[in-house]
Amino acid sequence: MMTLQAQASSSFTIGISSFTSPLGRSRHRFVVRAQVEPSEKSVEIMRKFSEQYARKSGTYFCVDKGVTSVVIKGLADHKDSLGAPLCPCRHYDDKPAEAGQGFWNCPCVPMRERKECHCMLFLTPDNDFAGKEQTISLDEIRESTANM
Amino acid sequence: MAVSVSASTIASLNSGRSNRLAASSCSSKLSSSSSLQFPLRLQRVRIGTTGVCSPSRPRVLPLVKAKKQTFSSLDDLLANSDKPVLVDFYATWCGPCQFMAPVLNEVGSQLKDKIQVVKIDTEKYPSIADKYRIEALPTFIIFKDGEPYDRFEGALTADQLIQRIENSLKVKQ
Repeated sequence: MMTLQAQASSSFTIGISSFTSPLGRSRHRFVVRAQVEPSEKSVEIMRKFSEQYARKSGTYFCVDKGVTSVVIKGLADHKDSLGAPLCPCRHYDDKPAEAGQGFWNCPCVPMRERKECHCMLFLTPDNDFAGKEQTISLDEIRESTANM
Repeated sequence: MAVSVSASTIASLNSGRSNRLAASSCSSKLSSSSSLQFPLRLQRVRIGTTGVCSPSRPRVLPLVKAKKQTFSSLDDLLANSDKPVLVDFYATWCGPCQFMAPVLNEVGSQLKDKIQVVKIDTEKYPSIADKYRIEALPTFIIFKDGEPYDRFEGALTADQLIQRIENSLKVKQ
């Protein structure tokens, strides 16, 4: 967290030693992000959904939680831009049409019908990449995607 | 995920703009050329400049330098390549694609005399992805003599990928 020196043009500047960021949000970092990030609200929604759905389907997150984190953010990003969590591990001709159609909205039809998740978000216990966890914290997500 | 120390070449497509000053476009080049690595950050070296785009974070693992080159099109790259080319079609928020980033570095350097590794962001270059009918991500296509020769989807470990490449290239020889 940084404190910024405000451009003091006011006549009441005597005795002011530090200024808070004009942006007001304590978590805001002054970094130019070249890559757009999904909203925190959507990330939280998709994080909770992923935990619930893993439990419900008897599947597990990847041993590498970075994979889980990226997919959760991808789902959140599509939720923000398209209104629905379209699978981030596919290439589409027309994303809004696909989101409206629904086949690839998470949980997608292949997952619901055959527990097939090529995003490696929900892994059946026999999968080589399956870990033992069905939980992931917001901190874990933040840390493993911090260098994006 | 192990990462080797020797240099590897990973080419990526630029949007046709000529290279700008290294300093100001450093961070945007980093994001447009590749995506996250975990836990290792790939250091990009621009050809023709003396500057180096280095992220300001402590490096725990050995550094792999990748060379960024500019081609006017994928066809141009494929036509000018003297070796088979492995093309990785990926997207930023695709988990398995990001998992493959360090794997591709490793494989690229281990097999550097046999194959060239190229990554294409399908969101930046949707027409290329359409041309090759990419659906699931990641999709890997091995090009030989400019034509698709082998194709497979999904994440693999470095050993599995090396096996696949070597088996695939061995058939014709």
